[in-house]
Amino acid sequence: MLSFVFLQLAPGDFFDEMRLNPQISPEAVARLHREYGLDKPLPVRYFSWLKSAASGDWGTSFAYNAPVAPLIWSRARNTLLLTGLSMLLCWMIALPIGVFSAGERHRWIDHGCSFLTSFLLVTPDLLLALGLLWIALRTHWFPAGGMFSLKSAHAGSVAQCRDLAFHLIAPVAVLVLGGLPVLLRHIRAAMTDALQTPYIRAARSHGIPYSRLLFRHALPAASAPLVSLFGYSLGSLLSTSLLIEVVMNWPGLGPLLLEAILARDVYMVIGTVMFSALFLAGGMFVADVLLFATDPRIRTKDIG
Amino acid sequence: MKMSRIAALLVTALAFLCLTVVFAGFLAPYDVAQQNRKLAFAPPSVIHFADASGRIHLHPSVCALEDRPGAFGEYRENHLNCFPIQYLVRGTPYEVFGVVKSNLHLFGVAPQTKIFLMGTDSYGRDLFSRFLCGGQISLLAGLTATLLSLAVGALLGTLAGYFGGWLDASIMRGAELFLALPWLYFLFAARAFLPLSLSATGAFWLLIAVMSLVGWARPARLIRGVVLSSRERHYVLAARLFGGSDTYIMRRHILPETYSILLTQAVLLIPQYVLAEVTLSFLGLGVAEPTPTWGNMLSTLQKYSVLATYWWMLIPGLLLIPVFCGFVLLANELQPGRKARAA
Amino acid sequence: MWLCTYPRFTASVLLSASACLLSSVGSAQSHSSNEELVISDNPVGHPGGRLVTSLRSEPKTLNPITSIDISSREVIAQMTGDLIHINRLSQNTELAIAKSWTVSRDGLQYTLKLRHGLRFSDGHALDVEDVLFSFQVYLDEKVNSPQRDLLIVGGKPITVHQVDSDALVFQLAQPYAAAERLFDSIAILPKHLLDQAYKDGKLAQAWGLGTSPEKVAGLGPFRLKEYVAGQHLTLERNPYYWKADRAKHRLPYLDQITFLFVPNADAEVIRFQAGDTDVLNRLSAEDYSALEKDQTKHAFHVYDAGPSLEYNFLFFNLNSVLPARSEISRKQGWFRQVKFRQAISMALDRDGMVRLVYRGRATPLWTPVTSASSFWIDTAVPHPVRSIDQARKLLEAAGFSWSQSGDLIDSSGSPVRFSILTSASNSQRTQMATMIQQDLREVGISVEVVPLEFRSVVDRIFQSHDYDAALLGLGGGDVDPNSQMNVWLSSGNDHVWDLGENHPATNWEAEIDQLMVKQLSTLEPQARKRLYDRVQEIIAENLPVISLVSPDVLVAAKDQLGNFKPAELDPHTLWNSQELYLSGTAASGQP
Repeated sequence: MLSFVFLQLAPGDFFDEMRLNPQISPEAVARLHREYGLDKPLPVRYFSWLKSAASGDWGTSFAYNAPVAPLIWSRARNTLLLTGLSMLLCWMIALPIGVFSAGERHRWIDHGCSFLTSFLLVTPDLLLALGLLWIALRTHWFPAGGMFSLKSAHAGSVAQCRDLAFHLIAPVAVLVLGGLPVLLRHIRAAMTDALQTPYIRAARSHGIPYSRLLFRHALPAASAPLVSLFGYSLGSLLSTSLLIEVVMNWPGLGPLLLEAILARDVYMVIGTVMFSALFLAGGMFVADVLLFATDPRIRTKDIG
Repeated sequence: MKMSRIAALLVTALAFLCLTVVFAGFLAPYDVAQQNRKLAFAPPSVIHFADASGRIHLHPSVCALEDRPGAFGEYRENHLNCFPIQYLVRGTPYEVFGVVKSNLHLFGVAPQTKIFLMGTDSYGRDLFSRFLCGGQISLLAGLTATLLSLAVGALLGTLAGYFGGWLDASIMRGAELFLALPWLYFLFAARAFLPLSLSATGAFWLLIAVMSLVGWARPARLIRGVVLSSRERHYVLAARLFGGSDTYIMRRHILPETYSILLTQAVLLIPQYVLAEVTLSFLGLGVAEPTPTWGNMLSTLQKYSVLATYWWMLIPGLLLIPVFCGFVLLANELQPGRKARAA
Repeated sequence: MWLCTYPRFTASVLLSASACLLSSVGSAQSHSSNEELVISDNPVGHPGGRLVTSLRSEPKTLNPITSIDISSREVIAQMTGDLIHINRLSQNTELAIAKSWTVSRDGLQYTLKLRHGLRFSDGHALDVEDVLFSFQVYLDEKVNSPQRDLLIVGGKPITVHQVDSDALVFQLAQPYAAAERLFDSIAILPKHLLDQAYKDGKLAQAWGLGTSPEKVAGLGPFRLKEYVAGQHLTLERNPYYWKADRAKHRLPYLDQITFLFVPNADAEVIRFQAGDTDVLNRLSAEDYSALEKDQTKHAFHVYDAGPSLEYNFLFFNLNSVLPARSEISRKQGWFRQVKFRQAISMALDRDGMVRLVYRGRATPLWTPVTSASSFWIDTAVPHPVRSIDQARKLLEAAGFSWSQSGDLIDSSGSPVRFSILTSASNSQRTQMATMIQQDLREVGISVEVVPLEFRSVVDRIFQSHDYDAALLGLGGGDVDPNSQMNVWLSSGNDHVWDLGENHPATNWEAEIDQLMVKQLSTLEPQARKRLYDRVQEIIAENLPVISLVSPDVLVAAKDQLGNFKPAELDPHTLWNSQELYLSGTAASGQP
């Protein structure tokens, strides 16, 4: 609701561009203004929006002259593809490395990855993105931004997938590299804590093989914070890639929001913010559920 | 607090950085707004130690640039027209902290040519001068936001930890919410909703304020933890028995416990907020022309043609890495108990 | 009368008239024997191929009645036809769906005759009913079409009625110079497809992007084939198009045109370089230089089609209605002095702007009329060279002086400083404002550049008048001075420096008003030109707007695109899409 109020405070509205056109009269603009209901008082507009939002109609975008919800959804799909893939890759890479680096053997993994982590932590995502774009522009090894090239639209689905994969390289690389250090750090910390516990020491003295120890015994114990982290990551899938999408021209939710803000497209802004907020809430809920499901300690605590 | 050797080294390095930024006017050869319209997008000057005839001098010199015929924005050196670099020259006037006026610069060349250590931008402005002066705004923004954030976080965290109960619960719920918020989205939305009668600079500082208010959550949580544990200490209980008021106890006994956390958090937060400023300025939501900041110097790189052709414009970005590195390493060193954990 | 004023036009009319007769006698392609085609006299190309071009934003609709944004209008222009069309290259009118027009002696009645036997893109025959329906819809207040304002002459809308089975009369309330130019881009709509929607009051929602191709029809060279949201919009050849080439083959040559959606200008250029698109409509100067280097290697060429109609200018707030408690009225004491404005104009580095902002691909301006309107520009307006000394002399004469530190101060001793408002999203104007800031520093004036969101800029200039100075650009849609009436008339909506007052604030503005009104109803071109020249001189002396530069029209196209003739008027590349053809083997993608 706050966002709605704020947006109305900003002066100027969508039809200002038409006013600048010397050939369109102010009366015509005023008529269109009335038609879109922009002259009704604020509370009336908020409540009518609320009513329609509940029934699934999220308003019409001025800029696109089309309903907001399907637009958001189609862009959100692109964003989710990008961030979902990045998150998956990130976890797949980070988990084994993190687990091994917390163990006692193979110290070189720990040293190596802490060095790498520090370096990546310090490099802003922005620079990673610019750097990869620079490489792409100079060497043409992979496309510099965008999601599709035209040739693929008429090619078979295999070629389309290949094309999509090529276009995914740069943004996914940036997101993975950006997300790795934090993740690695968390995994390592959780694993280290788990490895200190008495029953792991007991298991070790029983002679359980090293890797089995790490993965079958220590990891599940360390999983509680990791699971909630996973849940949070799910919720923030929609928002982490905003900057990357804008810089790399990936047609996701980020550029849509930016464009809508600059064009003062009220319903689109509200819709996007609401959508990501809902998604976030959903992710946190999933995190709680997962935690509940995977950690028996919580369940027993509840009963006890 | 004892500091290890590494930490001391890092602190010196960061202090050196701050000094550089404060005395940017002295170290920079040119004024930040001075446009050399015939030399837009000039590459970094090549420093010569040998003159045209091949003789080596100890004194470095710079040669004049002229247009390469037939192309815009391409230059070549005119080796017949070289001038030595002079030190402690008188140039454009500047102020330090708005108080001390001077026009002495560390180095410069004769007026017929220019020395561009990092090349020029689209208006022909010297990037080296802009980088040094840009640090003033970027670092200041980072520092201010950090202080604000920590102040709010410390206040709320202390209140939550000390009083407990519903105050604690509500503050912590709020903190979770703020932690989960995607800060860039929030910032974008805030920018859109701000009244546009503000000038760009005003809007920028307001955004810094907004940003720091979003970031209070993490320090608050940590502070709360410390307060919780120190609340039960014996001397605190004793002080309460003796009739010390809440504010007295908080001020004299509990807050000092939090200093080390605050310091570590500060060192961690400063680069984060500097990065936030860089992102905002990069996207065009920062300060107005012609004031440079580290972020808006990178914003022309959004054009692929600039990114591909004028590589020297990336240098301000690359120089950010060692700066952030310094802060992060220092934060690592300062974290209490790190040595214990590594054992 | 009209025979003498537009000789080139007359020649083409006669040519097409005679060609029409010939074509109706011997027909080559399949068309009914009484169909009257327009024959183009361009080199003959060969049919086939798909042209790919790009759009920087998705079109919002395919409805010619309600579309406002550029992308929609670009696509719609390919799908529709008008009665009289302005040739974008020659800038003269040529007959299109109308095969002849005459004007009554008092200039109030235009009689147009339609060609026979034409069909819409779905095969349905065109007749007078469709034209009447179209104008009825455009003029209907309830429909709210932006086109309606274009059809208001002398305060009253044009009326239409049928006089014959193939002729219409348009009645104007007052004589209007070059009224035939009004018909350009007023698309003729198919009554059989839109009538129901009109009767139901749902016309504005008709022909949105999701409409299936059978429901959309027009008289343009192409018709809708397919729309894929977020990716592209494809048009296919209209088999019933009413133009043919000299060899009697029906135009267009191309089988398809695809509009690819790209997010911004950079992506557009990259696509072109990669070969995904065949033609680039608007290049920035930097991209032009970058592409220029590659052009021979990659079988495309970049073209500088000459100056455009767009003019960028700086102007000061001379409004009498100002927001309360503002400093602006004090500053207006400086702005209102002609010598102050003249001094500012002398201090600006227009050549620097051409060089830095447009890389040499622009023209400096001293009058808002650019050399793209070769007929209307007044070449007698002086072009003084930049001179700081001259600027200082003018400022001294106006009562200003300089303080110890070099700042300019007015007669009461307060330093001269003001802010320039510009649109944050337009990087060229922001660059120009920054350069002006630096230039004026040399005369001791301290300027602040304030880039704001475009909507906010428009609001401040047009509504609240809350600004000191602003930098804007306006582009006429047409060369004819009538398209600039709103800017120069004191009561006009785009009289940006002084809005809200309906009567002129100064003598010279009064004179401009008189001249503009007079030229509106003067039918003889040379007499109009003299009046308009005088207007330009007054503007150059009094500088309500300080003209800066006009960017060139920069386009690029692959070499295999034949009959490519970039024009100074919009649409620069596809205005002659019916004649474009692709030579050699397949174009990008399969046909």
